[in-house]
Amino acid sequence: MNAFTGTGTLVRFVLRRDRVRLTVWVLALVGTVVATIPALGEMFTTQAQRQARAALMDTPTGVVFGGPGYGLDDYQLGPMVVNELTMSMLIALAVMSVLHVVRHTRAEEESGRAELLRANVLGASAQMTAALVTVSLVNLLVGGLTAVAMIGNGLETADSVAYGLGLALAGISFGAIAAVCAQVVEHGRSAAGLAFLVLGVLFLCRVVGDMAEEGGNALSWLSPFAWAQQTRVFADPRWWPLALYAVLIVVLFALTYALAGRRDLGAGLVAARPGPAGASGLLNGVFALHLHQQRGAVVAWTVATFLFAVAFGSLVTEVDAMLEENPDLLAVLGGGGGADDVTGGFLGVMSGYVLMAASAYAALSVLRARTEETSGRAELTLSTAVGRVRWFGSALLVSVLSSALIVVAGGVGMGLSASAALEDSSWMWTMTGAALAQLPVALLFAALAALLTGAAPRLVPLVWAWLGYSILASVLGPLVGLDDWLLHLSAFELLPRLPGEDFDAVAVAVALGVVLVANAVALAGFRRRDLSTV
Amino acid sequence: MPSPAIEVRGVDKYFGRFQALDGLDLTVPTGQVAGFLGPNGSGKSTTIRVLLGLLRADAGSVSLLGGDPWRDAVRLHRRLAYVPGDVTLWPGLTGGQAIDLLGRLRGGLDPGRRKELLARFELDPTKKARTYSKGNRQKVALIAALASDAELLILDEPTSGLDPLMEAVFTECVMEAKAQGRTVLLSSHILSEVEKLCDTVTIIRKGRSVESGSLDDLRHLTRSTVRATVSGDARALEGVDGVHNLRVDGDTVTLDVDNTHMDTVMRTVTGLGLRSLVSNPPSLEELFMRHYGDELATLNGGGRGDGSTAA
Repeated sequence: MNAFTGTGTLVRFVLRRDRVRLTVWVLALVGTVVATIPALGEMFTTQAQRQARAALMDTPTGVVFGGPGYGLDDYQLGPMVVNELTMSMLIALAVMSVLHVVRHTRAEEESGRAELLRANVLGASAQMTAALVTVSLVNLLVGGLTAVAMIGNGLETADSVAYGLGLALAGISFGAIAAVCAQVVEHGRSAAGLAFLVLGVLFLCRVVGDMAEEGGNALSWLSPFAWAQQTRVFADPRWWPLALYAVLIVVLFALTYALAGRRDLGAGLVAARPGPAGASGLLNGVFALHLHQQRGAVVAWTVATFLFAVAFGSLVTEVDAMLEENPDLLAVLGGGGGADDVTGGFLGVMSGYVLMAASAYAALSVLRARTEETSGRAELTLSTAVGRVRWFGSALLVSVLSSALIVVAGGVGMGLSASAALEDSSWMWTMTGAALAQLPVALLFAALAALLTGAAPRLVPLVWAWLGYSILASVLGPLVGLDDWLLHLSAFELLPRLPGEDFDAVAVAVALGVVLVANAVALAGFRRRDLSTV
Repeated sequence: MPSPAIEVRGVDKYFGRFQALDGLDLTVPTGQVAGFLGPNGSGKSTTIRVLLGLLRADAGSVSLLGGDPWRDAVRLHRRLAYVPGDVTLWPGLTGGQAIDLLGRLRGGLDPGRRKELLARFELDPTKKARTYSKGNRQKVALIAALASDAELLILDEPTSGLDPLMEAVFTECVMEAKAQGRTVLLSSHILSEVEKLCDTVTIIRKGRSVESGSLDDLRHLTRSTVRATVSGDARALEGVDGVHNLRVDGDTVTLDVDNTHMDTVMRTVTGLGLRSLVSNPPSLEELFMRHYGDELATLNGGGRGDGSTAA
């Protein structure tokens, strides 16, 4: 028996345990690629349109979401795929790889399952190795299928392979970073948090480096987010940046094993910090408890929404030029009038994205109450002198307030940057008002989540079905020419998009009325039904 | 005599088609410690959740501190404290924060007693709940319950994660609570614990109460083990009414005696020339085995009468 005894069995076990999870990841990622490549080809048919798009990718926001911008001078399908797709693919691969590695290393130790396994004929490094092997396999699969999809769309074989390999190696590096983090801290959640923090910093390094200098400066070169595009595929290909991934992966894997060898099962290199020995006066009721539970998430969503809104808002000056070259975009922006209409329409569409984020959080926030219930914590809380209506009502109030905060942050952010870009401060108020006018849509999702939690907890996934459908229909519907009635099933089409469209007080009042009724029914249902118990 | 703290009569509870409670009866007299015994899945936790108004009984009547736990939950909960069998806490809160929070939600807790209990249970209140073991999470809920002024304590297998030292602390705390005049409902499958602490016992099986009464009442129904050294021929005891499991080893005889026949059996034993006599009352384990004898395999040694921790 050596340190790796049993790795093969564990690899099969991990793949079996996660067969659904991993299949969904692979299908979603490869599906995105397969759908995006022809869509890009169809949206931008002439060279002029493509160059207009390239100009957009050359703006600061374009650099954030695009990359260093190789191939922008001659923006054909290949460079387009690389510039438009890489960052979302890398971010998704990072999330997948970090969660996978932490799930099969530190989270297993934390749950005690690792102890059960280690007591068997199993090498000390087998679990870590199984996690690293499986994360590598999945990333290689995604990268390989991406390359196949690109070649299938007529792109050069060598460049496609280099690109797919770059994505895969980047994903494996992210998994390796997570593996090191999992050695350092004691808990799965903190390990994932630390890994995401490291990756966030590396992402920012690339953004700042790419903005500072065309093609990226030394700071950008520090980041594995940069190397996949530094191969300059479809522009002036070179393979050697991929070697950087290989070096990084080898170093991180070696570091992981070295750290793992120096610590006990279950222990971390950094002990968890102690917290307060008693509750402060602020933690004095269920509303405060719900708020305390969500404060980190609310702050994160608010800040992220604000930053995205600022970035999108700053694009507003590029819109006119973009539209001249690419009239198809009008279908996305809605309306068809003059310059102000176009600016308003553009900002309205961007506000729509903010609203989607706020809607997702509104539902998530309500469903936290459901998690409290199924975890057994609600049982403990409700065994005290806390009524069910007060408990669930406070959760709903937290959801309303936090989604309103996210909506306002988005509106203010977009307003600020649009005001600055257009040198017209009135946009600040216009956009904040426009965002608030759409808030009832987010509240509708919260209300549906509440209604199902209160009255029919088994149907809770319906919330996600409707949200997913609404996002897909509203984002892609206009592009693919979705039937009107199908489009109007999307929640995001219920209320007019300000400032491009006019405020409709009746529609807002109806939406708010539905929200109130649904919440009342939710509270009544929750009061009458049995608590779900563990 | 004051009205009982808990009075459950003929309660049914269904989960879909599965019947969890089947005409359950349970009485807990005020000021007493009541044991609630049964194996896993017998309906103990379901009963407790009905008592807390978390589940609604499908039939029967439930009275808790003179009120209806489903309708008057909040009012009644001010007067009770509950420790679940499997305590889950808020991962981001420390133990100390969770204790304070639960105390405040219940309507206040005694800071002096909180401090004392933290010391006695050796709990570090500055650790985040996600780092606590099962036993430590249980201590958090126990401290929050015991530091309150609740007149009724409902404890669902409260020691299942505690080590023997902490179990001893727990036993002391329950005795103190009883001395203060509080009522305790203690669900358990640790028989020695119930024997040590409880005035009355209700045994539940498949959602029905199959036996209830004071420990003495129950013992009356069962057999005592008698070991005697006699000069005569012990085989004379064979076939005597109320004698079971007669084992003779030289001049030592061991037998189980139905308590109802103790008098006649003892007369026979004395007639054999008694030199020494040891009689043990039936342990709760034996009571338990009588009801679950056919489920021994599934119990997996779930209760050992020797005072050690049950699995």
